[in-house]
Amino acid sequence: MCAQESPYFVTYDHHLEEPGNLELETYTTSGIPRAGQSAYVAPYMEIEYGVTARWTTELYLEGQGTIGDSAVFTGWRLENRFRILKREHFINPVLYFEYERTSEATRIQKEIVGGGPDVTSPNADLQPSKNHELEGKLILSSTLHEWNIAGNFIAEKNLSQAEGFEFGYAFGVARSLATLASAAQCRFCRENFLVGMELYGGLGSTVDGFSVHNTAHYAAPVASWQVSENGSLHFSSSFALTHEGSPVLLRFGYSYEFRGFSSRIAQLFGGKH
Amino acid sequence: MRAVFVAVFLMVILAVANSQNEGYRQDPGWRAPTEAAARPNPLAKRPDAAAGGAKLFKRNCVECHGENGTGLANKHSANLRLDVVQKQSDGTLFWKITNGNTDRGMPSFSRLPELQRWQLVLYLRNLNSADIPSKAKAK
Repeated sequence: MCAQESPYFVTYDHHLEEPGNLELETYTTSGIPRAGQSAYVAPYMEIEYGVTARWTTELYLEGQGTIGDSAVFTGWRLENRFRILKREHFINPVLYFEYERTSEATRIQKEIVGGGPDVTSPNADLQPSKNHELEGKLILSSTLHEWNIAGNFIAEKNLSQAEGFEFGYAFGVARSLATLASAAQCRFCRENFLVGMELYGGLGSTVDGFSVHNTAHYAAPVASWQVSENGSLHFSSSFALTHEGSPVLLRFGYSYEFRGFSSRIAQLFGGKH
Repeated sequence: MRAVFVAVFLMVILAVANSQNEGYRQDPGWRAPTEAAARPNPLAKRPDAAAGGAKLFKRNCVECHGENGTGLANKHSANLRLDVVQKQSDGTLFWKITNGNTDRGMPSFSRLPELQRWQLVLYLRNLNSADIPSKAKAK
């Protein structure tokens, strides 16, 4: 869907990419440091493709730069989301599976699991440690009047180290600023803006115990602005609710959708058009 | 390893791109429940809202149903001007926009606020109308 891109950065709802469309997204997560930490910027790119109306696949490429330290490529992720039910229901479940090949220096924080990322150690110590990880999410999402309400329950298994299973959560609510679309062609119409709130954090692990203590938790107002027919800007400020991790995460992103991508590729190779 | 991964990703995209449905037919199983079909359009007495519906149509529907709603052959999408569509109730069209028909490639548009989906229904009713304001037509 081109319009009304989700404003969430961490939470997933049940809306998948429109089949045949390709979306390119660039995001950054910037960490404001506590005493003894360094500020960092973690950019990442997403390539999202709607395989079918009930299956979306996505490739992430990510990096990280820390002030006074270094800039490193921290790895890639491949995720797939499957919508279970054909029709809309009060609660719409989606299954999410992801494979990650990332280093310990990753700081994009697309989700928080366990105690959260290490934001104090230097990149030279973290980057050599590369992990194979599998992650699963149960996404539950509902449309209630004009609101989207979504909850994600996350389990992650590091196949490279004996960390057991790590857990996390994300909740989000969002809505459009306007319930009716105006007739005018405009950039600043209220229906082009979505606002909401996210709450996300870690829930410990099977090794350290299933707990909200000593884990990072954030509350984050989020907003998105559809600036063109195909493009959207996304903003968020995440505020830490505990003393773990960075006290503030500033997130910014731009997404651009190539409609009918699969048809155009088919034309290139002589397919029907 | 990365080159293999990228190659597999591109192959999946190409395979899907060349394996689309060959012929569109109305799905007889895609039927709105009676209660949903009976819902009236709350904007029925707000014809001015159709202009906003035109904008939403351009953003969300033109890619598959074409600029004038007659459907696109390569998408096997419905001609929204046909009687088989226009004779359906407002509630049925609203239900179909809301739920989509994922087995046939029609996504759910429940992400749009409810009134905006009703605006789309309002606009669909005007597709065959000659007196629709020009600015309300999807360009």
